[in-house]
Amino acid sequence: MGATPEQRKSWEDDGVLTVPDAVVGNELERLREAFDRRADDAKQDWLRGVAAGTQPAAFFDIPNPLEKDSIFVDLADHPSYYPLLVDFSAGQVCMQFPQFRTVPPSPLSYVGWHFDVPFSNPLHMKVQLYLDDVGKDGGAFAYVPGSHLPENDPLPQVRHLEDMPGHRTFPGSAGTAILFNSWGMHTSMVNLTLKARKSIILIYEVFTEENYDPERYSFLADRLVTAEQRRLFGLERTPSNTRHG
Amino acid sequence: MADEDESSARAAYIDSHAHVFSRLSSEFPRRTSDLFPAEREEPVEKLLGEMESNGVSQAVLVQIGGSSLEHHAYLRHCLKEYPGRLCGIGCVPTDSDSIPAHMDRLADYGIIGFRLSSMGGPVDPLEPVDVRDCITYPIWKHAAEKDYVLYLYPRAIDSHVVPFLLDAFPQVRVVFNHLMVCPGEGRLSIDDKGRPHVDVAMPPMTRYSTMGLKVGRVQENTRGLHQYENVCVQISGQYAFSREAWPYRDLADWHACLKFVFGSSRLMWATDFPWIVEDPGYGRLVSILEELLPDLSDAERADVMGGTASAFLQFPGRGNPYI
Repeated sequence: MGATPEQRKSWEDDGVLTVPDAVVGNELERLREAFDRRADDAKQDWLRGVAAGTQPAAFFDIPNPLEKDSIFVDLADHPSYYPLLVDFSAGQVCMQFPQFRTVPPSPLSYVGWHFDVPFSNPLHMKVQLYLDDVGKDGGAFAYVPGSHLPENDPLPQVRHLEDMPGHRTFPGSAGTAILFNSWGMHTSMVNLTLKARKSIILIYEVFTEENYDPERYSFLADRLVTAEQRRLFGLERTPSNTRHG
Repeated sequence: MADEDESSARAAYIDSHAHVFSRLSSEFPRRTSDLFPAEREEPVEKLLGEMESNGVSQAVLVQIGGSSLEHHAYLRHCLKEYPGRLCGIGCVPTDSDSIPAHMDRLADYGIIGFRLSSMGGPVDPLEPVDVRDCITYPIWKHAAEKDYVLYLYPRAIDSHVVPFLLDAFPQVRVVFNHLMVCPGEGRLSIDDKGRPHVDVAMPPMTRYSTMGLKVGRVQENTRGLHQYENVCVQISGQYAFSREAWPYRDLADWHACLKFVFGSSRLMWATDFPWIVEDPGYGRLVSILEELLPDLSDAERADVMGGTASAFLQFPGRGNPYI
């Protein structure tokens, strides 16, 4: 099932929409446990990199997460939001890469307002999934609704994140997913709490020959059982105008 | 006429970061290292000669060779001998039980601020940061009370602590040294020309902590200024970070990012004398903005070459639009 009329309107008008309770219950608990376990495994390497200046201290990504746990792979086409991605991309959605990210508290956001790709880039979408409850001051995702539309570009250069005109902050409970069009201006707001923000960011783009790379996720070949999954992970080309879901 | 004087003052070049030192002696005791062994000297007169030859009117001398009061003897001598032309940045022994007194004593000799390389906070960025637990907290606190400038050249492991201190002390004037690079552990060495060398991939990974904006690889996709208005960055140290010979074009994008995020009124040019005398040479560094920030307007160039330092550091004998 694709987007509801309300979801489609949010996507088209705002470039962003929330899917509450995208992952819940036992699945959410298993996901959080797997995230924490893999983060613990990787932490010492990260700290060594921070000291050497080769890793950012401002965020910590689990390296190569899709190689670490099948529950992570299952997020790529999770039924709570994947049909929306299929719908919004007219069936052309392809996984680019994931970020399993922990952001420590800091009075300075590690990213200011930015967009990920220019309007000349093919449609680029992200799903940010909170693993813990994220309050407004807990490093919540924020977006400027409508900034994914060329007519609303450019936005002003601001000194403080909260000064960006028209922005909306997206606090949410654990398991909330936020879908957004990466043409639009977004950021992680300042985390003023004492708790690191954990989230999973899944990055998708519509299929193009330029980003077709059957080797990138070839290590998943054995577990991608359907043709749609193989196209999602780029093991096979996505024919144009193919609709799924 | 006053306007012309002001304009002239703003156009003066100020080298905002240079080091001088004498041979080791009882008059001028100091620590030694491979970079500045006992017999080596880089006297202030040599710096002044380079400055005069290249139209640079003033400079900031940054203490080198120890943090005790005695180690500052040569710096104090220079400030006394050339008043009005030089300002000084001192060092503070963080194990001292009289940090404020140490800072004030040096201020009495004309030192306007202090240089920090370690912040002394938790090394794990996921641990809570309480700035009151940072070893350098008393320095920041006293700098705030006495309006001393802080020159920062943080280690990479300290980069995440810096914003907490900036946030706690927004009134302190802070100058990030050397392109806001925070050297990593084990990444400092001396090159074959006797200069400091820092093995760092540019743009520096520490920018995510110190700058807080998604700049570096793609500048055009960012809409932000640095969050803290009282923070400047020195345009200096290129020789130590670049993987190319002069004019260090591999650093041009990072220079553009700094200009975009800080603006010319928060950038200040420096040479890092004496390490640059042989290569690339003092005179070349005077023209480095033409190489790495060629799109600056005349007014912006005047800011970076001296106007920002004059105002922000409150150089003696000059207008002080910063205040």
